[in-house]
Amino acid sequence: MAKNKNNKPYIDRVHSWGRISTITALCALLMFPVAICLYLDVFPSINGILSGLLKLIPTYWTVAVVEVIVYTPMLGAGGTYLSFVTGNIANLKLPCAINAMEGADVKANSEEGEVVSTIAIATSSIVTTIILAIGVIIFAPFLQSFSDNELLKPAFAQVLPALFGALGAGYFIKHWRISFFPIIIMIIVLVFAPTMGASTLLFVGIVASVGGALFMYKKGMLDRVK
Amino acid sequence: MDFKYSLGLYLIAGAVILFVLAQSIFFLVKAFKQGRALGLDKSKLRNAITSSALFTIPSALSILATIIALVPALGPVIPWVRLSVIGNLMYETTAAEAAMEAFGHQGGMAVPVEDPKVYAGIAWVMTLGICFSLVVLPFLAKPLHKKFLAAGKKKEEPTAEATEATPADGKKKRSLNGFINDFATPAIFIGLIGAFIARAIIGGGKPETFGDGAGVLSIITLVVAVVVSIALELLAKKLKLTWLEPFVMPIGMIIAMIAAIIFFNVLPEDIAMFEWRG
Repeated sequence: MAKNKNNKPYIDRVHSWGRISTITALCALLMFPVAICLYLDVFPSINGILSGLLKLIPTYWTVAVVEVIVYTPMLGAGGTYLSFVTGNIANLKLPCAINAMEGADVKANSEEGEVVSTIAIATSSIVTTIILAIGVIIFAPFLQSFSDNELLKPAFAQVLPALFGALGAGYFIKHWRISFFPIIIMIIVLVFAPTMGASTLLFVGIVASVGGALFMYKKGMLDRVK
Repeated sequence: MDFKYSLGLYLIAGAVILFVLAQSIFFLVKAFKQGRALGLDKSKLRNAITSSALFTIPSALSILATIIALVPALGPVIPWVRLSVIGNLMYETTAAEAAMEAFGHQGGMAVPVEDPKVYAGIAWVMTLGICFSLVVLPFLAKPLHKKFLAAGKKKEEPTAEATEATPADGKKKRSLNGFINDFATPAIFIGLIGAFIARAIIGGGKPETFGDGAGVLSIITLVVAVVVSIALELLAKKLKLTWLEPFVMPIGMIIAMIAAIIFFNVLPEDIAMFEWRG
């Protein structure tokens, strides 16, 4: 593992930077509502805040812990810290990292994979932040008419099938043996629970996929695949 | 002037967002340098940047569309910060609705928030509701990541290698480490990608939201994305167009989104909007 002058491995340095930047980002984020209150010279009722939070915390905070556990191994160290600060993980950062690692032909659990995943997620975060900033600052006066644009509506409504179709195509061809089982399981699950939340379905999918692949591996059905 | 559009609020948001941008730039520079130190080709790293940037544009535009959807009720600043920091396409609308309800705001997203107190309350609820991952991340990320890296490395060690060897009886032993190294990551990714593909095929949505559930348009978009991506990949390989490879997925995605617009306008309305699970 590559080390710097102080003999500290790159991964350890990434974790140090990541921890510091995550805590700083959390403070910056919490200062946002504080600054709004000070700027507008108001303070909302604690009861209102608590009542709103009670609706969100059971789901959101549980999902937060599950997401950290599920995504961290896939995103790499640098990618994880960046992704959780900038958000949109499942629908953007993770597919982006997978795409870049496939393109560069590196494995997620190698240092090369760590580097490529971080580069992909950092680039994605920068591009997203810039597009959103330009969109909000420059087009603020026209935002409303853009959101009402009937022509673009179908495209934005189908962004997820477009994204995962494009990403999945190459991936399923390469790993077709282990792809059938999880997709069939998820289709069966959705037949009975069509509105199952994305995070729960994701969890079901990952368990089915890893379980199915492990079974096939143990039975020797994947011996010629690497 | 509507207080939701005041310069002060824009500046507050800008400060938070600048921090996020600086963090991303810092990690990008460090990773790029490390990639070079590891001997990775400059062109490989540049390809990762180009491909990721292109891949991001359509999704970033759809995130911008979510911001826009929240603008009439909340103004641009809260949605901007919420979707630039931790935010998620799927969570923020729900969080905003829960917050509005808690503060007795009638009419939901369709009615602008006029009371600064309610506005500030919504900012608190949306921020506190979503920030928990940043609380647990500094404690969990390092041990989780180290475990994953260790599992990948074990196979390289001679002892683990021995468990993979074919013994005298001719039966190949298949160790858990071997599985983790070769198949765990693809299996996890397939589980993730498959979840969204299964949703596009048969998932249900909110009946009042167009495009939320599986239907004619989601299947068309999915099929176009798959076919175009495979065709481009084959083309790049056959004609040895290495420059095309990083663009395959972004182009596949953009063409699929354009196909959604075309088919929506060409097909009869009741077919184009048909969603079998609501």
